[in-house]
Amino acid sequence: MKKYAGRFVIIVACIIVAVYYLYPTWRDYDLHQQLKNLSGDDSLQFVANHEAGLRDARARRIKLGLDLQGGMRVVLEVNVLRLVEDLAKNKDDVFNQIMKEVRAEAKTSEVSPVLLLRRKFESRQIRMSRYYRNLRDNNDDIFKFLEDESTKAIDRGMEIVRNRVDQYGVSEPSIQKLGGTRIIVALPGVTKEAEVRQLLQATSLLEFKLLKEPDVTYRIAETIDKLLAASARTDTLPGDSLFAGTTAPDTSRTDTTNAETTKIKTPEGELSQEEFTRKHPFFSVAIYTEQFKGVFLVVEDNKERVRRLLDREDVQKVIPNDMEFIWSAKTQLLGERGQEKRFFTLYPVKRNAELTGGVIVNAKWQIDPNYNRPIVTMEMNNEGAREWARITGANINKRIAIVLDNTVFSAPNVINKITGGHSQIEGMESESEARLLEIVLKAGALPAPVDIIEQRSVGPSLGEDSIRAGVTSSAIAIGLTVLFMAVYYRTGGAIADFALVFTVIFLLAVLAAFQGTLTMPGIAGIILTLAVAVDANVLIYERIREETAGGKTPRAAIDAGYSKAFTAIFDSNLTTLITGVILYQFGTGPVQGFALTLMIGIVVSLFSAIVITRVVFDMMVDRSGIAVNFG
Amino acid sequence: MRFFGKTSIDFMGKRRIWYVVSATVIGLGMLSLLVKGVNYGIDFLGGTEIVVRFQNGVDVGDIRTAMDKSGFTKAEINTFGSDRDILIRTPEQGEGNLVGERIRSGLQTQFPTNPFIVQKEDKIGPKIGAELRRDAIYAVLASLAAILLYLGFRFKFLWAAGAVTALFHDVLLTLGLVSIFDGLIPHLNLEFNQTMVAAFLTLVGLSNNDTVVIFDRIRENQKLFKSMDLVALINMSVNQVLSRTIITSGTVFVVLAVLLVFGGEVIRGFAFASLVGIVTGTYSSIYIASALVVEVVTKTKSQGKLID
Repeated sequence: MKKYAGRFVIIVACIIVAVYYLYPTWRDYDLHQQLKNLSGDDSLQFVANHEAGLRDARARRIKLGLDLQGGMRVVLEVNVLRLVEDLAKNKDDVFNQIMKEVRAEAKTSEVSPVLLLRRKFESRQIRMSRYYRNLRDNNDDIFKFLEDESTKAIDRGMEIVRNRVDQYGVSEPSIQKLGGTRIIVALPGVTKEAEVRQLLQATSLLEFKLLKEPDVTYRIAETIDKLLAASARTDTLPGDSLFAGTTAPDTSRTDTTNAETTKIKTPEGELSQEEFTRKHPFFSVAIYTEQFKGVFLVVEDNKERVRRLLDREDVQKVIPNDMEFIWSAKTQLLGERGQEKRFFTLYPVKRNAELTGGVIVNAKWQIDPNYNRPIVTMEMNNEGAREWARITGANINKRIAIVLDNTVFSAPNVINKITGGHSQIEGMESESEARLLEIVLKAGALPAPVDIIEQRSVGPSLGEDSIRAGVTSSAIAIGLTVLFMAVYYRTGGAIADFALVFTVIFLLAVLAAFQGTLTMPGIAGIILTLAVAVDANVLIYERIREETAGGKTPRAAIDAGYSKAFTAIFDSNLTTLITGVILYQFGTGPVQGFALTLMIGIVVSLFSAIVITRVVFDMMVDRSGIAVNFG
Repeated sequence: MRFFGKTSIDFMGKRRIWYVVSATVIGLGMLSLLVKGVNYGIDFLGGTEIVVRFQNGVDVGDIRTAMDKSGFTKAEINTFGSDRDILIRTPEQGEGNLVGERIRSGLQTQFPTNPFIVQKEDKIGPKIGAELRRDAIYAVLASLAAILLYLGFRFKFLWAAGAVTALFHDVLLTLGLVSIFDGLIPHLNLEFNQTMVAAFLTLVGLSNNDTVVIFDRIRENQKLFKSMDLVALINMSVNQVLSRTIITSGTVFVVLAVLLVFGGEVIRGFAFASLVGIVTGTYSSIYIASALVVEVVTKTKSQGKLID
């Protein structure tokens, strides 16, 4: 009788531990049910009273996978190549060519981009020190340096992503590194995909750049214009279609404001549209006006063309080294009423930024009371404030472009010296955009751009459907199994059912204890576990029946049944466990959830089937001498 | 209560017939695979997959028209549980959410009076697709190898080889049947994605369970009846465990059937593949695993002992 006392104690201990781990899940459910029935002030009061309890329960309950609660899961890959490219000095054509090749290869190769780069250099027998660090450093050192920089960039990237996600306000987000360059971000309950993409991908590199003087700009534009007109390569400027819709807005630089005529007055006299296009290929698409002095207006449809024009080698040569063209982030509607079109603005700016976003310590979005539109105000640190005062002081009446991720948000005129280290960004279209900008500025600029290589989102209704389906099928499956065991194996079956209940409880408790995630396939895994659990009992009971038929006493039959069946149970379950482990390694997300419940389930069900039922039998046979009926 | 008394079915005697049956079904399955191709989900192909729920039922043909108009001519379109729920899958890659947005606007244009909500949207880049595909194959091969090693250690190598051959047989058979049934049954989504691979690995485990139980009994009997003819011994062993085999496989079958019917869309493909798997798994333990050993033993006239 005492021989099973030890096992009995262990079982009771396990039950207590299981209840301890499962309690938060129940509590979380219970509290939220109560919360649902309250409203308004009552609910606020309730939350205040139970704040600690709510938080605690939520943290320790069984986590639901995204496929059950809805939300988004995104895999980000840090663009290490860009980082490596940016770290290089003295970039020349050879370097650019190498980068081009590495970029192409990296798209499909598994090898680390830094290693690819090294191989390219070595195959051309060029020392990496020509572009990196000091001339004396050998390839190994530089390779290690680049790898270190990438690792640091990825870690910093993770920190910044975590910051942004925290500020965005997601409950229970999960951010993890995957492999060398990837970050997995799981955001339960999130539905606004476009926002999240923006949140995660924005490099948020903030720069303040001075606009070039209008007359300088005009001269350079004229040069470009003449160059293009003279160039025989008119294939990129098909006459009519170029002008498609580019009737200059009525504030054009000509004297006439007559928008009805298609003749354009220029200092050279009146020209028809086609003539104008041929003679002034640049100005016909990048419109220069008195009202918008110093910048160019480009109709939406023509943006691509202008970009290509500016990218041309001959054009690039004409643009001075300290200057570049940056596009506005947004379009504006211009033109006579009834004939408005959307125009982008092209800003000619000084290439080197006066100030960068590193000096921003705080950002806040608000509605500008003067114009009733969303803006983001920024505060700089002391050093930044001093620089900003110097810059604004030296450039009164000039314009400074606020450039975020290489697009211009606004380019206000400097009216007077700004000493407080304040600045603001305008030009956002909606509050949510301003809010995102605030988050992204506060969290900081990503050291290297990230690409979203995998994205999965599940709507809440599908999640609820899945939960309902999962609960229904679990209930039916358990019900059928329990019924069958009781009918087919009588008392033995009932005891097996009893152990089955423990199995499910222990399984869920282990899941909670490990903070594992329950997914839809995970629920399937639990159901399959039941089947496996049943198998172990079936093996034992069939054996017991055989032994009894062979003439053994009930006691002996039970002993024989358990011991003889053991090897079969052990071997078969172990192989299933092996496939579970392999599946856990290879799978992601929901499939991993399945592998997890399968593995836990096998171990737990073996414990229940072998130990728990045995103890019960021992108790019954030894203490009360009950003949256990195995049907 | 019992279903079976003492039985003495001559399993091994009929084995040649079952070889033919197996070969035929596998052959048909492979043919179907060749003709239809593998219905890859975006997990392995890359691309975008959207599940939408319309307010009212829609005709799949109309959806196809909408997709063709939007330029997605390679789109795979299926119902997802009812004629209100549609699954659209296309391998095109696009910048950001472009593909998803184009699909959505295409649907809005085609069905202006039938609003829909997006239930699920997945986008996989090409590199990840290739990686997942490769990982899946490794996973299956690794499982088979691990099982071969473990069983080779617990039973003699010939038997382990028989067991793993049975597993190969099960995987091929299920693969073929999944291919044949794909598209045959309405609302049954049998695309080849990660969950489906999980189903295959599961059925490998379950089939092996069954095989091991039979082998264990054969091993025990060989110790007791040292001089019994192998075929007779196998027959006896299978008969002895028949009760357990039918009951366990039956229970798993019923449980999987419950999942198939009540488990919801996401799990349906998984349940179907596992269901087919449990049937072939039970069958293969006898007619492939044990039978293989019998064939080798009779050809080589060796002892065929299960343990050293």
